[in-house]
Amino acid sequence: MADPIKEPQLYKNPAYLQTQSPAPGIVNLFHVEDVLNMARANSLWPLTFGLACCAIEMMAGGAARYDLDRFGFGVFRPSPRQADVMIVSGTISRKMVPCIKTLYDQMPSPKYVIAMGGCATAGGPFKFPGQYGILEGIDKIIPVNVYIPGCPPRPEALIAGILELQKQIKAGNVQGVMSPAAVNDSQDARPAEYKNAVSRADFRKPAAPAAPAAPASAEPKA
Amino acid sequence: MKAWLVSSVKPDEFAEKDPKSGVLFEALVGREHIREVAREFRTQGWFLESISIVDFAECFEIVYHFNKWGVARRACVKTLALKAEGEAASAPSISDVFRAANWHEREAYDMFGLVFEGHPNLKRLLLPETSKIHPLRKSFKGEPKGSDVEDSLRLIQEDTEGFEVRYPSQLTKSQKDYYLNLGPQHPSTHGVLRVLLHLDGERVLDGEPVLGYSHRNQEKMFEIQNYLACWPQFGRLDYVGAMAFNFGYAHLIEKAMGIEATPRAQAIRVLATELNRISSHLLWMGTFLLDLGAFTPFFYCFDDREKIIDILEMATGERLTYDYFRFGGLDHDIPEEMLPAVKAFVPEFKKRLKDYHKLVTKNPIFISRTRGLGVLTKDQALNYGVSGPCLRASGVRQDLRRDEPYSIYPTLDFDVPTMTDGDVWSRYTIRMREMEESLKIVSQLVEKIPAGDVTLGKLPKNVPKGEYYSAVESARGAFGIYLVSDGTLNPYRMKLRTPSFCNLSAFSEMIPGCLLSDVIAILGSIDIVLPEIDR
Repeated sequence: MADPIKEPQLYKNPAYLQTQSPAPGIVNLFHVEDVLNMARANSLWPLTFGLACCAIEMMAGGAARYDLDRFGFGVFRPSPRQADVMIVSGTISRKMVPCIKTLYDQMPSPKYVIAMGGCATAGGPFKFPGQYGILEGIDKIIPVNVYIPGCPPRPEALIAGILELQKQIKAGNVQGVMSPAAVNDSQDARPAEYKNAVSRADFRKPAAPAAPAAPASAEPKA
Repeated sequence: MKAWLVSSVKPDEFAEKDPKSGVLFEALVGREHIREVAREFRTQGWFLESISIVDFAECFEIVYHFNKWGVARRACVKTLALKAEGEAASAPSISDVFRAANWHEREAYDMFGLVFEGHPNLKRLLLPETSKIHPLRKSFKGEPKGSDVEDSLRLIQEDTEGFEVRYPSQLTKSQKDYYLNLGPQHPSTHGVLRVLLHLDGERVLDGEPVLGYSHRNQEKMFEIQNYLACWPQFGRLDYVGAMAFNFGYAHLIEKAMGIEATPRAQAIRVLATELNRISSHLLWMGTFLLDLGAFTPFFYCFDDREKIIDILEMATGERLTYDYFRFGGLDHDIPEEMLPAVKAFVPEFKKRLKDYHKLVTKNPIFISRTRGLGVLTKDQALNYGVSGPCLRASGVRQDLRRDEPYSIYPTLDFDVPTMTDGDVWSRYTIRMREMEESLKIVSQLVEKIPAGDVTLGKLPKNVPKGEYYSAVESARGAFGIYLVSDGTLNPYRMKLRTPSFCNLSAFSEMIPGCLLSDVIAILGSIDIVLPEIDR
């Protein structure tokens, strides 16, 4: 029987590693990930970011009666750099889309998105054939973890959505754990027709035929 | 004014109107006269209430509503801009006569492509600047399906490519001034307002609000929906004080149809509106003080606001975007348990108001941060068409509940508080006093709600052909609707004159010279609701 302590190169041998189950006896990182997920789920910091009517219900949720702090959800952060949940609360006008996309790209991973209300889910009462002003659902641009129906949803509904998100995070079953500005197809759990949504990073790449000597712009480190 | 208009301009058409309709007279003048007319209105102390455009087959009709605070005296002046093949229709700008016209004309340019000659800054107001459509034209038939994603991606791309923002002036290195974007994602802009600030150090030189981040094509929707289907839109315009917007629409259509709501419905309407006004001011107070750095009042205000919402929820079933009024009455009657709840609420809230005064009004930090800040003089306020608490803080005793009485307001006893300083502190004090006045109305009404029906039964589905204007006092100011009906099932054109739109246009007049942190205080004191501005 080979002794891994005496022969450390064994760790690099896949044939040896397969014989060891589940891991070669030192640390089981799956459990660490579980603990991390539990910590993440119970201290979510949402972005202070309101679009329309639903934002008032979000504020009511954070205020005295509903008190989102009970769920570790009450630390609203005005800067996307400090936040890990974006609650898209309200109608998304097309003029606002670049800003939302920027905010999403600026949030550090892992990050999660809650689409609150009818507008953020599918356009809500402002959707009609031939509309020119709004985006019918935020999930066409960025991935969404939880949808909350209602116009506007009550704070209780928001709490239910948050609990659902926490459940997903604890189970390690979320799609929000992707690197910023690079929503790859394999990580993107959205329906196929929405996968044409392009990330900001794609635009930054220099166009291939046009600029022959253009130096590749420095990608911001994720 | 009438005599002047008839003798010197000689309008093409002139019609005296029934003063009950809110409009004293209506005149059609040639476009070469419109600046002259506007100047005369200005010298005689009138102010510009709204500019509406109606798209007819051969021309655009530009409708100016002038008003004089005091007893309601509204005048309507129209001019025509002919559509010509191959060139944009145009009209002379009156933005140098009335500063309020600046934004109204920009909106008209945005929505109709109507060019105002001599306008200092004619660019799009609500839609993105690279947009190619003029959506409120009748010839605009809507965008194809899926264009929302396409359009959004194009905007993201433009935003990324054009990263160096085009600022109004070219800066050199020797200059110390710089530009700063406040918003659209900023906790103190109450939604998605963007303010482009021009700063020198921390001192503000100039600032310009950039609108349209919450534009929801509501005025286009009105034209393709029938009158009943327009109801939910009004709750979502000003979601903080939705009852007053319900009231405005109900008032307009009832006036147009020549009907009147039942006495019980009238009383319940006023009761609900005043409760909603208190809750709106409470929300304003909490967030305004939060912007100033006081965290505690936010929780107190929301606590009280929840109590009002509980009461209104009994009647409407909704917490926020009320859709409770109907033509000729209400959707349904209030439940039995509502009135006792209101009765219990009144003394409780009186006590809380005293607490607020102790907590905030006499707080020396609060006073020194707000006194003498963001002054809006009486003349400036009238020039910009400011209304509501902001106007009353500048010393104009105007309240449409008093001056253009509607519903049962004339039978009620309440005051219209005014202040003369026009600063942030006055605007705060006015709203605090208004809450007391609204509470007074509520406590009077709750004792004497008459019994009876709350609906009139079956009504015709269309509004008689004609043009109608009506205005009510919302929590933020005068909310006017201009309706052009062609007798069919849906409005031909419905233009909303929203209070925050005009109030915010005076913002750039208040900020020069103050510090960056004071901009937040001034913005908070105007009490804006963005979807109502952007529509």
